[in-house]
Amino acid sequence: MKKILVTLAVVLSMVFSLGATAFADSHEGAKVRVVHASPDAPNVDVYVNGELTLEDVPFKADSGYLDVPAGTHNVEVFAAGSEYMEGDAVLQADLTVEAGKAYTVAAANLVESLEFVVAEDSMEVSEGMTKIRVGHLSPDAPTVDVGLIGGDAVFAGATFPGITDYMELEAGTYDLEIRTPDGTQVLPLEGTELAANTVYSVFAINTADSLEVLALVDYQGAGSPEEMPATGLGTPEQNTMMYLLLAGGLVLVMGGAFAFRSRFQN
Amino acid sequence: MHSAVVFKTSVFLLSLLLFAGCAPVDEVAVKTETIGFEAEAPSERVAPAVKSAVQPTENPINAALSKGISPQTIRIPSIGVEAPVQHLGVNDKGEMAVPDEINEVSWFEPGYNPGQNGRAVIAGHVDGLEGPAIFWDLADVQAGDVIEVAGEDETLTFEIYKLESIPLALADVSEVFGYTSSPELVLITCSGTYNREWGTREERLVVYAKLIN
Repeated sequence: MKKILVTLAVVLSMVFSLGATAFADSHEGAKVRVVHASPDAPNVDVYVNGELTLEDVPFKADSGYLDVPAGTHNVEVFAAGSEYMEGDAVLQADLTVEAGKAYTVAAANLVESLEFVVAEDSMEVSEGMTKIRVGHLSPDAPTVDVGLIGGDAVFAGATFPGITDYMELEAGTYDLEIRTPDGTQVLPLEGTELAANTVYSVFAINTADSLEVLALVDYQGAGSPEEMPATGLGTPEQNTMMYLLLAGGLVLVMGGAFAFRSRFQN
Repeated sequence: MHSAVVFKTSVFLLSLLLFAGCAPVDEVAVKTETIGFEAEAPSERVAPAVKSAVQPTENPINAALSKGISPQTIRIPSIGVEAPVQHLGVNDKGEMAVPDEINEVSWFEPGYNPGQNGRAVIAGHVDGLEGPAIFWDLADVQAGDVIEVAGEDETLTFEIYKLESIPLALADVSEVFGYTSSPELVLITCSGTYNREWGTREERLVVYAKLIN
C-alpha cells in the first residue's frame, strides 16, 4: 500500500512539473534591468550565459528592462573591454527569473567586495495612486530613514544593501529627505513629484561622503481602449466600382483593337 | 511602362471578376492577405542603450519620468504620408476613436504620449467611401523605415521594427497599448477581408516602431 502511495506521489509530481514547464514555455518571458551601483568599480561588460549582453556600462547607469527567457541564467560581470574567460568574472551569479516578472539586478558595494543585489520589481499600481520603494546601495553610509521634512518617516531603518518593499501613496508633491534615524538630514529631496499610476525605485548610491540618488521608473500606467479602432470606412463594393470601370475600359480597348484589326485585314 | 502595369493589373482583376462570378474584389484584403515582418536580432540584446543616470541639481526623482510630446503631425517619408494628428479617446463602443476625416490620423490621448516610455498609438483609415485613405499604403512599410512625429516644438523620430496583421479576435489590446520601458510608437489601420456582419475588416494592421532620437 505504501509503495502505491509513493508511486502515486511520483506520478503526481511529474504531472505538476510538466504543468510548470508548459507554463514557463508560454510566450511571456521575464524582464531584467541591470544597474551599476559600485562607486569605485570601472565601467563593466555584462555577459549572460556567456554572451556579451551589456557593454561598457558606467557607474550610475541602468540598462532599462531587457527581455529574458524564464529560467536560470549565468550572469557574469567583467571590467569593460576584458577578454571573456569563463570563471574569470569579477562577479558571477546564477539568476533565476520567472515568466511575467520583472527584476532589478544591481552590482553593488566597493569593487573589492562586489556583490549582486537582486529585487523583484512591481509592474502595477492602484488607479490614481503612486508607488515607491527605496534601496540603500551606499556601501559605507549608515542606516537611514526616508521621510517628510519635519514629519514622519515613510521608510525607516534602511541599511546597506537592502531594498525596501513598495509603499503606495497618494500621488502628489512631497518634501522628502534622507536622514539618519536621529533626524540629521543627509540629502534633501524637496518638491518630489510622485506621479499617479507610476511605480518608482529610488536608490541611494555612491559613498557616504558623496551620497546621491538614482531614481528609476519601474512602470507607468496609461489608458487603454477595450477594442481596436475601426479604421476603414470603405466596403469591397466601393473598391469594386473602380475595377468594374477599369475592366469596362479594358473591354472597350480590346474591342476597339479587334475592330481595328478586322478592318486592316479587309 | 506604367500603362503596361495597369493593363496587367486590369487583366488580372478582370479574370478575378470573371472567375469569381462578379463577386466584389476587395483590394485591401488582397494586399494584406499574407503580410508581416519582424526585424531580427533586436539590437537591445547586443548593445542596449545604456543611459547615464541624470543627476540634475534639481530633484533627480522628478527627472526620472519622461513626459513625451503632444503630437501635431506625422510623416512617413517611405510611403509619402504626411497628416495632422487629432487627439481622441474611445467611442461609445469602447473602441479607440478614429477621425471622421480620412486624410487625418488620431492619437489615443488617454494612453502614452509619443516619447514617453510605453506605446503611443496612432490610428488612421485604410479607405474611405470614395477610395484610399491616409494609411492605404501602410502595408508597404519596411523594417528600418522612419516615422516622424512632430510636437509643438520638438520632432521625434521612430524606426519601424515589426509589422503584423492580427485577426480582431486575437488582438491583445492591452499589449498593443501597453507599457514598455523605452518609448515606442504603434500605428494601426484596417486589413484583411471585409466582414459584412461586423461592418468592419476582420484584421488590424499593426506597425511597431522604436524611438531612435
